[in-house]
Amino acid sequence: MIKITNLEKYYRTEEVETVALNKLSFEIKEGEFVAIMGPSGCGKSTLLNIVGLLDDADGGSFMFNGIEVAGFNERKRADLRKHNIGFVFQSFNLIDELTVFENVELPLIYTGVKAADRKTRVEEVLDKMQIMHRRNHYPQQLSGGQQQRVAVARAVVNKPKLILADEPTGNLDSSNGNEVMQLLTDLNEQGTTIIMVTHSEHDAKYSHRIIRMLDGQTVTENILV
Amino acid sequence: MFKNYIVVAWRNLLKNKTFSLLNIVGLAVGLACFILISMYVMDELSYDKHNTKASRIYRVDSDIRFGGSDLRLAVCSDPMGATLKKDYPQVEQFTRIYASSGSKLLKKGTTFIEETKVAHADSTIFDVFTLPVVAGNAKTALNEPNTVVISESAAKKYFGTVDAMGKGIEVNDEKHTVYKVTAVIKDMPQNAHFNYDFLFSMDNVEYGWGNFLSHNFQTYIVLQPGADYKAFNKNFKQLIDKYILPQAKQFMQINSMEDFARTGNKLEYSLMPMLDIHLYSDRFPELGVNSSIQYVYIFSAVALFILLIACVNFMNLSTARSANRAKEVGIRKVLGTGKKSLIGQFLTESTLMVFIGLIIAIGLVWLSVGYFNSIAGKSLSIEMLLQPGYLLFLLLMPVVTGVLAGLYPAFFLSSFQPIAVLKGRTGKAFSRSNFRSALVVFQFFTSIVLIIGTIVVFRQLNYIQNAKIGFNKDQLLIVNGTWALNTKADAFRNEVGKMSGVKASSFAGYLPVSNSSRNDNTFSTEAVMNEKNGFNMQVWNVDYDYIPVMGMEVLKGRNFSKEYGSDTTAIIINEAVAKLIGMDDPVGKKLYTSTGNANEIISYTIVAVVKNFNFESLRQNIGPLAMRLGNNKWATAFKVSAGDVTALIKNIEAKWKTMAPDMPFSYQFLDDSFDNMYRAEQRIGKVALSFALLAIFIACLGLFGLAAYMAEQRTKEIGVRKVLGASVTSITTLLSKDFVKLVCIASLIAFPVAWWAMSTWLRDFAYRVNISWWVFALAGFVALLIAVLTVSSHAIKAALTNPVKSLRNE
Ligand SMILES: Nc1ncnc2c1ncn2[C@@H]1O[C@H](COP(=O)(O)OP(=O)(O)O)[C@@H](O)[C@H]1O
Ligand SMILES: [Mg+2]
Repeated sequence: MIKITNLEKYYRTEEVETVALNKLSFEIKEGEFVAIMGPSGCGKSTLLNIVGLLDDADGGSFMFNGIEVAGFNERKRADLRKHNIGFVFQSFNLIDELTVFENVELPLIYTGVKAADRKTRVEEVLDKMQIMHRRNHYPQQLSGGQQQRVAVARAVVNKPKLILADEPTGNLDSSNGNEVMQLLTDLNEQGTTIIMVTHSEHDAKYSHRIIRMLDGQTVTENILV
Repeated sequence: MFKNYIVVAWRNLLKNKTFSLLNIVGLAVGLACFILISMYVMDELSYDKHNTKASRIYRVDSDIRFGGSDLRLAVCSDPMGATLKKDYPQVEQFTRIYASSGSKLLKKGTTFIEETKVAHADSTIFDVFTLPVVAGNAKTALNEPNTVVISESAAKKYFGTVDAMGKGIEVNDEKHTVYKVTAVIKDMPQNAHFNYDFLFSMDNVEYGWGNFLSHNFQTYIVLQPGADYKAFNKNFKQLIDKYILPQAKQFMQINSMEDFARTGNKLEYSLMPMLDIHLYSDRFPELGVNSSIQYVYIFSAVALFILLIACVNFMNLSTARSANRAKEVGIRKVLGTGKKSLIGQFLTESTLMVFIGLIIAIGLVWLSVGYFNSIAGKSLSIEMLLQPGYLLFLLLMPVVTGVLAGLYPAFFLSSFQPIAVLKGRTGKAFSRSNFRSALVVFQFFTSIVLIIGTIVVFRQLNYIQNAKIGFNKDQLLIVNGTWALNTKADAFRNEVGKMSGVKASSFAGYLPVSNSSRNDNTFSTEAVMNEKNGFNMQVWNVDYDYIPVMGMEVLKGRNFSKEYGSDTTAIIINEAVAKLIGMDDPVGKKLYTSTGNANEIISYTIVAVVKNFNFESLRQNIGPLAMRLGNNKWATAFKVSAGDVTALIKNIEAKWKTMAPDMPFSYQFLDDSFDNMYRAEQRIGKVALSFALLAIFIACLGLFGLAAYMAEQRTKEIGVRKVLGASVTSITTLLSKDFVKLVCIASLIAFPVAWWAMSTWLRDFAYRVNISWWVFALAGFVALLIAVLTVSSHAIKAALTNPVKSLRNE
């Protein structure tokens, strides 16, 4: 599903140039659950942003479902993204002014799903995530675990083939964290490919494979399953 | 403590340069408008106050209705002043001004110059008005005939020095009278209801003195201190019975004033406080161009609104920004800073900004006062601000405005709960603040009202310029003062008439624009006049070509013609006269009038009815008017063809110079004179336009700042939405939508208010436009467009930002 070869990314700020990704290569097959680990600043988020088609690489090749997407313009990337990829962030990134229902509904609005269909699909995921009873609450009225469940619901409502999670348990206590990991595992078992950045060896054990990074390069790969 | 406030305030100002700039520029422009308008209003309210007896001076006004035509006069009869003084002890002094003779030609060196600021006055003018004398004796200056009092500028113009005592000035009248300068006075102030450079002796006016029935003199009286002018008005009834009725009986069948009144006629006199003349008097003839209290109210309201908009901006931007300062407040509170000292800090900041704004505003006023004068027709100067009262006001204003503008953000910020703030839990309260929405609505409400006002004023002006006025004012060149050519007037007219580019010509003593010669006379439909068959109307002496040259339309009958002998007893009436005398077909009927000698009556035969034409401003309805053949060569009208008019005028002037080398050549185009009647409205239009633009500008500054803040506040949200697939368009719409809603609400409130205000203004015009629906639609659309353009730049910028950047800061 994803084949990355010699991927490069630089950040230029005033006079300093940071090499965030340094000729990085790896491959992920459909249905895999991959954890990416490494010290802070090694380029994990950068990698995830590129894989998530939020950002552009500065060099190398990125094949998504057999299509070369490195060099796609913003519009094409956005189009590919909204139909294929769901995101879960460490800080949930829910919109404070919208209710749980409306937050989850957003991706469907942007992919042009009709209002009636939206209602059934949102209710379906909310049910699955066990937060149906909170559908009219605002994010600030929920606990961290509940908020992350809403975020996961939002990520999957469009039935994406790929879910990218950047430290999804980073802001949660261990029991809430385990709950979210269980959700991701369930999704993976139903066929969704998952790439997750994490600092926690415990969480990484839920995955099939761990890619360890250092200074923008992959150093080792552990196969767990 | 206070010094610390200022230091911190200053640092904060520098820290947020864009914000400070937006805020200060908005305030400065608002304050500059406010100061300019307050100068204008102060000037309007200061008229005639320089007279030491100002509050005791009154003008005697006449209200006459005779045979259906109404006259509201600012003049009364020549014996009125003296009679009042003789019979009533409350009257301390009186004086008269006679300005009906118009301009005069005065000799300077070898040529004559036309002077318009001339009048004849009684010697008592110095007892009534305060006219400081530079040289000469005010008591005796105008006691004798052939004397003149001149202003310092006139003295400099004619003699090169202020020291003009005893010198002679020749006037180009029939006798070529030489007037002796008996006093030089300071130039009359601009803010007076009259302004003359030359006051000639009243003894030189040739007039049938002692006539209570002719109204030609501006008459002012000074009442004793404490006298009540309203009570004094009751005396006029007695005066009419004692003096006027006996004179009227000599040429009219009239028994008593009660009979006269019973038939719908009226003769009333009243005193007009001189201090009210400039703002409340709208009579005929006025000695200068008066203003109206209505405009003082409108301008004051506009000034206050603009100041409010600027303050509102300030509050808006400050509260918006308070989100960014919430953390600072939280920390200060945790550190134990009291609410009072926080409020003190914020108020110091806002006052400091207003103060800087004020200094810039004064600079702006200084730069723009010249332009303002040119559009408002004023001569204001920045020195007006130096009066102690105004200086105090200028000092207090930043404090009041600063406190007013800073109060809300100050209380808003200082009442934060420190824990909530430090946890970052204020965002929501800020972005959806109803109060701020109301402020935006208010700003746009004001802007939209001003836009509608401006459109309506300009539409009315346009309507006036293109209205069917019953004559053709285009391509009519009027050469003034042709009477001065004496016997050569006909030759001049003939020779110019032969020039190429001149189609037709006519002598034209009377012109259908305001401030031209007028001749009001009493007529009757029967040989013996009584209060039932008598009426007043304008009678203009014209020549054979007048009606065709002016493009007037003969509805019934025929124009004057040489085929009918001299046609001297023929008269042509307008539709208003036909209606007044109630005849369907008046052609062939007779009208009678007195020759001026007792019991001597002449009759005229109506030969035609002309279509009504507007001979006064469109503010007035068309009154009764008739024309008869006469020999008035005061001016000559030439119908010219479009083309090289400049060259033609040069040729005419050359011709004039050969015939009257020492006379000034002066001309006007009738359509220009017509436009001049509406100068007040044109000024109002321009002033309204300028202030509408400024109000919108200030409102936009506020909106711009607010939109920037909103976009910043919602960076994270925008990022999230983009990650989820939102397009640039959908984000731009999302961010602009709220503002659009506010502008729509503002429109809905502004429409009825503007409609009411402009209908009130239009009511002054007898001929006026309708306020059509599209004016509202246009104003609303313009406001919306401006709002969207202002907001969308930020919205688009936010929408284009890579979401990775906005989400990274987490
Ligand atoms: N927008 C940016 N501008 C400049 N440098 C950046 C930017 N984003 C990331 N970096 C730098 O790139 C490197 C990798 O960052 P990141 O991918 O966020 O690391 P990680 O997620 O592994 O902690 C870091 O050194 C970081 O400082
Ligand atoms: Mg990271």
